Amino acid sequence: MAHYTFRSFVISITSAFFLFAGCTDLDTPVVSELTPDIFPLTEEDFVAAEGPIFTNLSQHYMQGIWFCQECTGDGMVLTANGGNWYDAGRYYNHHHHTWTADQRFIKEAWQCCYSGISKCNSLLPLFQAQAESKFQKMGIAEIRAMRAFYYFLAIDMWGDVPLTTTFGKDAEVGGRVARTTVFEFIEKELKEAIPDLSGATGETTYGRPTKWMAYALLAKLYLNAPVYAGKSDKYNDAVAACDAVINEAQTNKTIDLDADYLKEFYPDNGPKFKDILFPAIYDGNNIKLNYPARYWLHKLLRTKYGLPFTPSGCIRTWPEFYDKFTIDNTDVRQQIWLTGKQYLADGTPIMYTTTNRGYDVRYSGSDPNGKVTYQLEFTKTVEFRNLEKFDTGDDYLGWAQGYRCNKFYPDNTSPSRDQSNDIPVLRYADVLLMKAEAILRGASPTMGHTALSLVNMVRTRAKASQFTSIDLNGLIDERARELCFEGWRRNDLIRFGKWEDQWGVKTDTDVRHRVLPIPQTELDTNPLLTQNPGY
Amino acid sequence: MKKDDLHQQGVWNRNALLKKIWRTMKLTGLFMLISFIAISAGTYSQNAHFSFTIENGTLHELFLYLEQNSNFRFAYNKSDLDDMQRVSYKFQNESVEQILDRVLDTEKLSFSVKNEYIIITSKRGIERGPINTYTNQPKSTVSGIVTGFSGASIPGVTVTIKGTGMGTVTDADGKYILKNVPEGAVLVFSFVGMAKQEVPVEGKTTINVTLLDETIGIEEVVAIGYGSIKKKDLTSSVTTVTSKDFNVGTHTNVMQVLQGKVPGLNITKDGNPTGATAVMLRGPSTLRIGEAQQPLYVVDGVPGGILGSLDDIVSIDVLRDASATAIYGSKAANGVIIITTKRGEAGNTKISYNGYVGIETISNKIDMMSADEYRSFLTKNNLSVSPKDEDNAKTNWMDEVTRIGVSHNNNLSIGGGTDKTTYFSSLTYKKVEGIIKETGVNTVSLMANVKQKAMNDRLKIGLTITANMSDSKILPASNTDGASLNGNRDFLLNMIAYLPTVSIKDENGKYNENFDHPGAKNPVALLAQNDANNRNKTILGSAQLQFNILKGLDYELNASYQNSQSNGRTYYGKESSLAQGLNGLAARNAYENEKKLLETFLTYGKMFGQHDLKLLAGYSWQEDVTGNGFQSANKNFVSDQISYNNLGMGSGASGYVVEYGKTAILTLRMISAYARLNYSYAGKYLLQATIRRDGSSAFGKNNQWGSFPSASAGWRISEESFMKNQKVFDNLKLRVGYGISGNSLGFDPLIARLRYGPGGKFYSNGAFITSITPSQNENPDLKWESTGILNVGLDFSVLQGRVSGTIEWYDKVTKDMLFTYAVPASQYYIPSLLANVGEMENKGWEGSISAIPVKSHTLTWNTTFNLSFNDNNLNKLSNENFSLEYQKMAGVGEHGQSGNYVQIVEEGYPIGQFWIWKYAGRNEDGVSQFYTADGALTINPSDKDHFYMGNAQPKVTGGWFNSFAYKNFSLDFLFRGVAGNKILNVTRADLNYPAEATHYNMPKMTRNEPINDDRAHYSSSRYLEKGDYIRLDNLTLAYSFKMDKVPAIKNLKVYSSVNNVFVITGYKGLDPEVYMGGMTPGIDNDNFYPKTRTFIFGVNVDF
Repeated sequence: MAHYTFRSFVISITSAFFLFAGCTDLDTPVVSELTPDIFPLTEEDFVAAEGPIFTNLSQHYMQGIWFCQECTGDGMVLTANGGNWYDAGRYYNHHHHTWTADQRFIKEAWQCCYSGISKCNSLLPLFQAQAESKFQKMGIAEIRAMRAFYYFLAIDMWGDVPLTTTFGKDAEVGGRVARTTVFEFIEKELKEAIPDLSGATGETTYGRPTKWMAYALLAKLYLNAPVYAGKSDKYNDAVAACDAVINEAQTNKTIDLDADYLKEFYPDNGPKFKDILFPAIYDGNNIKLNYPARYWLHKLLRTKYGLPFTPSGCIRTWPEFYDKFTIDNTDVRQQIWLTGKQYLADGTPIMYTTTNRGYDVRYSGSDPNGKVTYQLEFTKTVEFRNLEKFDTGDDYLGWAQGYRCNKFYPDNTSPSRDQSNDIPVLRYADVLLMKAEAILRGASPTMGHTALSLVNMVRTRAKASQFTSIDLNGLIDERARELCFEGWRRNDLIRFGKWEDQWGVKTDTDVRHRVLPIPQTELDTNPLLTQNPGY
Repeated sequence: MKKDDLHQQGVWNRNALLKKIWRTMKLTGLFMLISFIAISAGTYSQNAHFSFTIENGTLHELFLYLEQNSNFRFAYNKSDLDDMQRVSYKFQNESVEQILDRVLDTEKLSFSVKNEYIIITSKRGIERGPINTYTNQPKSTVSGIVTGFSGASIPGVTVTIKGTGMGTVTDADGKYILKNVPEGAVLVFSFVGMAKQEVPVEGKTTINVTLLDETIGIEEVVAIGYGSIKKKDLTSSVTTVTSKDFNVGTHTNVMQVLQGKVPGLNITKDGNPTGATAVMLRGPSTLRIGEAQQPLYVVDGVPGGILGSLDDIVSIDVLRDASATAIYGSKAANGVIIITTKRGEAGNTKISYNGYVGIETISNKIDMMSADEYRSFLTKNNLSVSPKDEDNAKTNWMDEVTRIGVSHNNNLSIGGGTDKTTYFSSLTYKKVEGIIKETGVNTVSLMANVKQKAMNDRLKIGLTITANMSDSKILPASNTDGASLNGNRDFLLNMIAYLPTVSIKDENGKYNENFDHPGAKNPVALLAQNDANNRNKTILGSAQLQFNILKGLDYELNASYQNSQSNGRTYYGKESSLAQGLNGLAARNAYENEKKLLETFLTYGKMFGQHDLKLLAGYSWQEDVTGNGFQSANKNFVSDQISYNNLGMGSGASGYVVEYGKTAILTLRMISAYARLNYSYAGKYLLQATIRRDGSSAFGKNNQWGSFPSASAGWRISEESFMKNQKVFDNLKLRVGYGISGNSLGFDPLIARLRYGPGGKFYSNGAFITSITPSQNENPDLKWESTGILNVGLDFSVLQGRVSGTIEWYDKVTKDMLFTYAVPASQYYIPSLLANVGEMENKGWEGSISAIPVKSHTLTWNTTFNLSFNDNNLNKLSNENFSLEYQKMAGVGEHGQSGNYVQIVEEGYPIGQFWIWKYAGRNEDGVSQFYTADGALTINPSDKDHFYMGNAQPKVTGGWFNSFAYKNFSLDFLFRGVAGNKILNVTRADLNYPAEATHYNMPKMTRNEPINDDRAHYSSSRYLEKGDYIRLDNLTLAYSFKMDKVPAIKNLKVYSSVNNVFVITGYKGLDPEVYMGGMTPGIDNDNFYPKTRTFIFGVNVDF
């Protein structure tokens, strides 16, 4: 008996060994994330899956795109305060048009475009594989319109760019395609998308491409056709695209110039503003990376605006740019500027106490530690103490140099420097000005509009006096006043032939700098890519 | 139905059953099995009664049968039994006594039962001749003297004739006389603490013996994974450190006990006690960081197991080359550290108390200006601070927030047992006070194990439970998840650089703050207004079963379950500068991790003639689930009094989004099969071969399984006949091994799969909703990194063991190294992909030598010295699919330096290659200038102006340990050091920023800097320094009391120890020991935590 038990014990031990050794299953469950076999399946899944193509825009619009499009123009300059904000000379380069293929914001702008395009390319087959429905068709149209928009940004910044419409292991990794070809692709895509895009405005479509967004983008494309495609015969097409928007505005009143220009850019802006055709949406809590107040405002303004952070105040405008706003003192758009002596909301002067040296490190008098009290006062000029360091001074005098733009009003509801102001990318006022420009450039006027009447529509809303005449120089200045820091200045200056003008301390006139260098990291990964000439 | 059909059906049914068992096989099955065994074991008690029949058998056969079927053991001289006597009996439910009464010839033999031992004695008389093989040999009397290595005689040495119970003990002069010794006998000399020595008599009548300390003996046993081996039979590279050689100190990481003791093992840590400890064996061999660089820890057979307390460790074995580590396969490329903890010993009940009090003081801190110095510095430079920052105070902020830290550690353990049952349990309470006020850790650790023999000692079952509970008060970090390494930079920087000219509080009792200076925060306020605390609990239960199936064939099964929980709690007060405008912010998180492990293996050992064979075959199954938990937060609290204790007391705020943290529940499963062969011939020629096949759910689906082979051979030259006549070498062994092991540590279990996660919010129809986006590309080819090590070693021992040592040479090549490569966005969801591409090589020499230069009755001096040289090189960073010319690393440096990288990862260079701006003095304006790539001077160096300058990795690391024993005193000290490395002192660079001299206090060095040099702080060659140092790391003086007159106390030892006694270095920073882990080693950055010196007073008592 005992013997028997022992033997069976040996057998069970031995078989246990081989039993355990038999388990070779390596499939483990994924419980806290979604995997391709279970996502996307439902309509709600598809809504969430489409989200990244919009998130992508917000993540980059006020970062890489904004610095490439605005910091390179004549409206603003980001200077160093002592050693701070020199940042490997990237802002120096933006101003001097001496940027390189390694620069951060250029790299990020490229990533914005191509990661957006790839997201669209990868989503399209998922949508196309679904049964046909209104939701499905609109989704496809939205994705194609967004992809066209990202391609638009790409040809605007880099000229010839790779054109890819598929995604995955078998997708072609091509070299650069002529700007004209991409131009035509964008035109085709937008035209084909428009019938299926929503015509609604307001909350339901805010932040998504609508018919009106597509028309406005098409107008933008046509207006820039001489730059992008060497075609100067697209102005009538531009007008037609603008008219589609204007017609909707006039018939259904869903699009309009909102009465209060300034409020349109406040932290609480949003779908209630009928001027905004397509925004990059931000929210201090939910969609971050938009902090104009951090860049523009002086640290002593923190209290006035009740901010949870101390602004850096490194961006200022050039006096000549500011002067464009002072031709008419009734123009509400002048109020976006902070100039001269500063006061709290109740009119109390913003005072500070420092020492003679603290006020101006160059003080060489006998009492450097002598206490002095001043009122914060922005001065108009921007003078470099040391141009090589791009330094405008690291003392109270230096920090107050240059007028500040307060168009994207500070957000005291946010827990951080991230503001909730949505940034309009395309808006009705731009459409009106684009139509005016197309007419000035030779398009046939329609709907009884003239270039002047269109510009005056925009000026009326701004409570500015009516112009009696308008030419292209007048128009680009009007665009500066109406659209400043919304991400179009570089585009405008190039189209108007003013990119090589001199402003600030910039002297570069190399026309090859109308396009940016392809980021070095992209050249490294795609041997078919070639660098733009001049870089 | 035909018979055959029936038979077949039976087979089929069995298969179906087996399949079902396979399918449902889970750990529960294992536990059931164990309980089954436990119940069975119960039937084999000493009170067993037997029913059996024996026909025509010998007594010997009868005893064997009883041994096999009970736990009785028979002890008898075979010669006492008459082999010819045949017995035939029928036993019916009879006890063993009854059986023996019946079968033994009571004229000749008697028996006694002592526990499970049955001793059969002959009644022929007390004067018994030697037994077994010596029976018919001529006998003589042998005498001699036994001495120690110093020449002094040793009394009390046991001298026995091998194979018999006969023997004697040396007298006070170390002399012995043994009569009736057969000519062919072997004498065995043994003494506590000394190596046992066997001497063949070979007709000699005088045999004098010198006994050697056990520690230098080659008989010592070394853990090699799934078993152990005698050191003399080892063919791979393994270093063993036993607890008596551990560094004494208030260690935060178990590996600190080994610092300086193991060649090739570089253990580094910066000053911050909560900072990570980098443990790197034979140079970096991965481009990943964190766990991927660490060795695999195996605690009592459990990979990744936990340890109760440092006091519980018996020994640590460091498996260094791949022929040693390959048995652990895809997790072993960085070496394997096997930790063995204490077990009870039969018949030796021991109660021990180990306790110490540690006093930690600041030994070095960054030399900042005093308030007076700062004021005169400002005056000299015509500067002044803002009136807000000047109230005639002389505040030394560091003094305000630091203290002398008092810690204590108390460990109580009980161990003991009988032949059948052994047990050990230990309880430790440790309280550590941080040198910074409000910080500290309390830990309670528990370990208990019990081992039971059963089934005639053929079955051994062990159960162990280990638990650790710690509660840490940590520095407030500036982000709520506390994940950032520099999370507490805010506090530490302000601790040293906050302006000394302002008081802690203003006249109204409010903390002075000046937020005009970015980053400036009152450090005293930071401690007072914020609260951060972590609680961690880990519990490990394991069961071990060993069963002797047949002679030489053993089965072992280990199962363990580990569960750890962490609870993080943070509260930023209403006035806190870390949460301005939030009106109080509380955050809590709770996470749970689980680890299940099953190991099962068979071992077989057989000796035949000169051949000695050992085989091992095993299987292991492991599943880890991590990240099971959540985080929540709230803000806007009415009162600070509740702190983080009730999130519901907060009111949130309009639009407030709770930070839910990252919940990623990840399951990693690893399945392995392994085998090992050890063979030796005549104790001279040694061979070991291992193979492991590993599968991991983390690997890509095309590469889920990998094989890791190794082979090594050893030649014990000293055993050769031609070495018999030489007197120089006691031991001389040459070892050569090659093996491949993998590195899959630190793998995200889902790393190879396409997965969708939250992709940021977007606006959709009036609401902000979370988008779902691919968060990772699929890489079906992803696999482990594989490291091949060729190792050649020479072990030697000369002068009768007084000098011994090892020299090793290795070439370690890691292939398929993982790195992140940029991939086309049109083909991949994410424009970067982790891929197996690169190749890295580490080549080096290691030497260690131990000696006993002095050994007398009263004084012994033991000394051990080790040196390691390693040469690291990145061989490849590209292959046909992925290419990368270089990767800039370490974008360090404050104030306008974003984009300044100081290291580079590039083919042909080591990890930690400095690639920095070259300092060129100052220009006529006093501004620092730098060389451009073409040799010109500039104050605005660009990313084209970097130079290759030096390397962070030391050329040589070493340790020198000494131990003096004089009468009851012992004095131990350890020097360790490195040479040939560079350190970039970014801490010093960043502080030296005269441009902000009115915002922050400056280090003393800034007094001589031109005040307008706003490039003084650029991380350039100016701050690249030699990192050579020698440190007297530990000095311990101990006194052991003579306990002869106090029988209740077996041992009583008191000791006092100092850590970090002094450092000899030219390095200008806080301390030349900087964190050497990660991909950017040797950068001293944000290293503000003061360096400390610890004094320890301790006592060990054994009852």
